Amino acid sequence: MNIIETKKLTKYYGKSLGISEIDLEIKEGEIFGFIGPNGAGKSTTIRTLLGLVYPTSGSATIFGKDIIEFGPEIKEDIGYLPSEVFYYDGMRVIDLLKYSGSFYKKDQAVILKKIKELAEYLDLDLKKKIDDLSYGNKKKVGIIQGLLHEPKLIILDEPTGGLDPLMQQRFFDLLREENKKGVTILFSSHILSEVQKLCDRVAIIKDGKIVKIDNIKDLAKDTHKRFKLEFKGEIDRKQVTELIGVSDLAFDDNNASFLLKGNINEAIKLIAGFELTNLLVEEPDLEEIFMHYYVADKK
Amino acid sequence: MNIFLREIKAYRSSTLIWILSLCTLVTVFLFMYPAFTRDVDATRAIMANLPAAMRDALDISLANFFTIYGFFAYIFTFATLAGAVQAMNLGVGIMSKEDSGKTVDFLLTKPISRFKVFTSKLFASFGLILITNTVFSLTSYIVAGIVSTDGLDIQIFSLILASFFLIQLFFLALGILFSMLIKKIKSPVAVTLPTVFGFFIIGMLGSIVGNDNVRYICPFKFYDLNYVIDKGLYEINYLYIELVVVFIAVIASYLIYSRKDIRAAS
Repeated sequence: MNIIETKKLTKYYGKSLGISEIDLEIKEGEIFGFIGPNGAGKSTTIRTLLGLVYPTSGSATIFGKDIIEFGPEIKEDIGYLPSEVFYYDGMRVIDLLKYSGSFYKKDQAVILKKIKELAEYLDLDLKKKIDDLSYGNKKKVGIIQGLLHEPKLIILDEPTGGLDPLMQQRFFDLLREENKKGVTILFSSHILSEVQKLCDRVAIIKDGKIVKIDNIKDLAKDTHKRFKLEFKGEIDRKQVTELIGVSDLAFDDNNASFLLKGNINEAIKLIAGFELTNLLVEEPDLEEIFMHYYVADKK
Repeated sequence: MNIFLREIKAYRSSTLIWILSLCTLVTVFLFMYPAFTRDVDATRAIMANLPAAMRDALDISLANFFTIYGFFAYIFTFATLAGAVQAMNLGVGIMSKEDSGKTVDFLLTKPISRFKVFTSKLFASFGLILITNTVFSLTSYIVAGIVSTDGLDIQIFSLILASFFLIQLFFLALGILFSMLIKKIKSPVAVTLPTVFGFFIIGMLGSIVGNDNVRYICPFKFYDLNYVIDKGLYEINYLYIELVVVFIAVIASYLIYSRKDIRAAS
């Protein structure tokens, strides 16, 4: 069964395009990544699904129900964590979370128990005032707020900003745990490695359009790494050029830079023979990946 | 119900301050009534020497001023001005604060329809106005009863007090409508004060130049208290105007709210 299904979902803000003809099918129990640069339409898609903005055309269903007609009913089983969390100042964390819980039909005692569990797990003091919390701690409030009613679908919009690596790890563990219980997760991010770590399938969105939907394994198969080499002397251009899987190659004085697809061992062996002053291997930024897909599309 | 209670709680202290200020205002002024009436002829002479335009601007009627109703009506001009500010500020704030505080995402991703959010907030603000009026009216009855030498006509006095409620209702509805029409309201006061004082000045100028048409557009002039004191009635047309305006403002606000796109906070 498809938990989320969109059909040619389109949103214009006045004349400017938000998203165009988005077709998505997210299945029950999967962790679906939604990746793209800022402003690509990730948030617009999510906000449309949540009924915060209304689609210009097209339609979408969640749990098989139309998002507009059954908005409030659907949201009973959705947990949402926005990229930036804003809450009522002056409230204590526990009051805010209880207020948040009071909107759901679920037994309030069960919700309170879940709040306490999550707070302990995330190491959050429930008695503090929201105003006094650091950005990272506010984010934790957001996480608990999104999970306290044990939703069947969790929607996360760039959720990791502000969390330290340890908390991020705990948060991901928490999501995997929920996922094991059968919860479906839609995870939006502009950080590829984050999505690769967590998701089963991923949709890449750019300029309001879905560029590619792929299994994360297939995407990982063509993992790209950006190599930057600084040579001590003359560059052996021929050898570098002949390396398998190299693209986007550029030479500049003593520097060579290229994108490497696939197995890195061949490259490492070759590089070991060079006389270098510096070597950088980094994650290519999204733009580069997108460029790759665009080039692939044209072929 | 949870949004309703939350809003009542959020506005508890500011409403309390408004109520206290309003009650202090009428109490202090009403206790000056005996001093004013001790020597009616002398005071009347002073009043008569004021330029007629000024008396009109302040809605002072020489015939009524020295009755408890007339005196109260005079204080009332200022009380309604304050009351209008309170009500409009509430109307503008109760809707727009979710936008300016960026808490709107929190609220509208909950399993609740926009209609329910809107009505909860509408009822909460209405409830706060109702509480304000109840306390304000009771205080006025009691204090006026104490200072009045020859009793109190409950009908006249009640009609005067009810006009406070009606004016507040008008500005509450207007505030809600404005909060829907104006994008990015940082502070409700910036919307409220120009509007309320604008209407107030228009009404005052209308009285000075003796233009009766102004009364149709100025809520402060809907309920002519001198007419109420003389006849014991409202001029019913103005009541209809108010009810129509309030009705349209609320319906329009709801329609805008239910179709509005909530853009991401930035």
